[in-house]
Amino acid sequence: MSKIFLKPADATAIVKKSIKKRRAKDSRLKLYGRFAIGLATCFLLFLFYTIFEKGTPGFFQYYVTLDVNFDKERIDPKGDLSDNSLFSGDASKIVNEALFILIEPKGRKEKKEAKKIISSGKDVRIAKMVKQNPNLFGTITKVKFALDDDIDSFLRGYIKRETPENERRVNDNVIKFIDKLNAEGRISYDFSDYILSGSASGNPEMAGIKGAFVGSILTLFVCLLIAFPLGVATAIYLEEIAQKNKITEFIEVNINNLAAVPSVVFGIMGLAIFIGIFGMPRSIPLVGGMVLALMTLPTIIISSRAAIRAVPPSVRDAALGIGASKLQTIFHHVIPLAMPGMLTGTIIGMAQALGETAPLLMIGMVAFIVDVPNSVVDPGTVLPVQIFMWADFAERMFVQKTSAAIIVLLTFLISMNAFAIYLRKKLERRW
Amino acid sequence: MNLKNDDLTKSINTVGDVFVKDARIKARNVNVFYAEKKAIDEVTIDIGNKEVISFIGPSGCGKSTFLRCFNRMNDTIDICRVEGSITLDEENIYDKNVDVVPLRARIGMVFQKPNPFPKSIFDNVAYGPRIHGLADNKSHLDNIVEMSLKRAGLWNEVNDRLISPGTGLSGGQQQRLCIARAIAVSPEVILMDEPCSALDPIATAKIEELIHELGNDYSIVIVTHSMQQAARVSKRTAYFHLGKLIEVGKTKDIFTRPQHNQTEAYISGKIG
Repeated sequence: MSKIFLKPADATAIVKKSIKKRRAKDSRLKLYGRFAIGLATCFLLFLFYTIFEKGTPGFFQYYVTLDVNFDKERIDPKGDLSDNSLFSGDASKIVNEALFILIEPKGRKEKKEAKKIISSGKDVRIAKMVKQNPNLFGTITKVKFALDDDIDSFLRGYIKRETPENERRVNDNVIKFIDKLNAEGRISYDFSDYILSGSASGNPEMAGIKGAFVGSILTLFVCLLIAFPLGVATAIYLEEIAQKNKITEFIEVNINNLAAVPSVVFGIMGLAIFIGIFGMPRSIPLVGGMVLALMTLPTIIISSRAAIRAVPPSVRDAALGIGASKLQTIFHHVIPLAMPGMLTGTIIGMAQALGETAPLLMIGMVAFIVDVPNSVVDPGTVLPVQIFMWADFAERMFVQKTSAAIIVLLTFLISMNAFAIYLRKKLERRW
Repeated sequence: MNLKNDDLTKSINTVGDVFVKDARIKARNVNVFYAEKKAIDEVTIDIGNKEVISFIGPSGCGKSTFLRCFNRMNDTIDICRVEGSITLDEENIYDKNVDVVPLRARIGMVFQKPNPFPKSIFDNVAYGPRIHGLADNKSHLDNIVEMSLKRAGLWNEVNDRLISPGTGLSGGQQQRLCIARAIAVSPEVILMDEPCSALDPIATAKIEELIHELGNDYSIVIVTHSMQQAARVSKRTAYFHLGKLIEVGKTKDIFTRPQHNQTEAYISGKIG
């Protein structure tokens, strides 16, 4: 007895001796934790800083203000303001003339170079203006035009004067013109008209993310519409209705496996089944949404099942005990209590889907599409794919636009999550 | 041993009188299996009309399992299988044609842990009448809720806060709310599975008083660990041991002069 148990005093002494070591371990662990969190926060801040630092200029661009003579005969030869008539008009020439008055180019070569200063969307801009306000006809009005992307890059300092002319994308003549315009105070740096309202374009100064943004919304909408009900229904069936046997176990294991399948595989499957077998068109948000729904389903099912399992069995007993049918028990008690958890899973899945690129490349949503999709069957693209495409272009201006698009994507994501948290808080009744 | 002629009954190993004259529920040779394990072994017993009967016995003796056979709550457990017959007013509740929904409306249940819905007090009580369509209109429903809460002895404590959550009440109040919820659908039998085990002595006393009163209108089967409780609330007592019904009799007989030596051992605190 005395050999096995120490005297209480001895035991206390031993405990006291070890206590310092244990305390040190505790505080070390705390320190590690703080260090890890600090590091993670630093990385996050750095990430946000670089994105915003690079991306914010993408929302702005250089403009030149010209005095445009809105000559009705020339802009709208048929006089009916129809697209046809405006298109056959002479708007570009009018704008060029307004420019030439300011910079006075001499000879054909200089004129040709001068024309390139202004972005090629000038005639469209004029057409839009007169359509909105036909009273402009017959007046001379100041109009802002976007500068060509090379000029923009020059003004931002990416193209340097010191570089020899033959290695520069902007030649000496053009620099002379720019200086002239600058001296007259005609050049301004303003919020871009195109970044939020434009679509994909070969001209970097006119490229915007509206098409991709709308495409993303449509795709996610389809994805949600398919994945949420299907996922929740599957979770309910597996948790509440199906008998636990080999088949359900097999299904369960496979659903868990599906959650880990690389997303590009879903894209190939979508390509083979939706486009190959069912002959649906390529590049449409409907197919994109369906593919993403397949990808999101396992996430929603797994989290919904966890949420259903977390509903206390006593609530089910209470409902069944009073004579509620299985369906009533599920719909009156289990689903309302599990809904916040289900929504969380759905939002995680949606956020995943929003950032997904690979499967959409497979089904052709990477196409160059200028029009903003009006419905889920119009060809379109999505934000991450747009970012992917822009990141691949050589023009300097696309770098800023890429970062700007990333900011928009992040904003979209954060607001989606915020909405989800709001919805969850609203549904989550803390009794 | 009292062997009356009953066509269903093979043999009864139970001491005491398992049969009563005006039986509502008749259990005959009931066996319950959890997968291969036999949890209830050839139990035969009658539950009389407006009778309060308590099931006592050591933990794991199967009394709760047997109780849950009466409203087929065991159906929710996949591996659970029930053999034998249980009739409610001569109708076999395990018949294929019997729907559990109306059965459970006739046989209410109160659980061990108070389990009000995470809804308002009013909605808790109104839930049963609503799903079964028992109320003709809003004022009828209001009356049902009020009467149920009054009978459960809760009305005076909650009538000014019917819209507040049922889970915000104290444990004893929650349990009475559950009783109110059970009687709101006008059941004939109320099953209580250790209704006071999670409550303090004062709340327990209130529930016991309530059970006593409800005994005038309903058949009540109560499973309890407390022999004192069984003695206080019930007229008849059944003693279970290892899945077998050992002895049934008038409560005062069971506690004063048990016939079976196992019953005596349990009563005197030697097993359990």
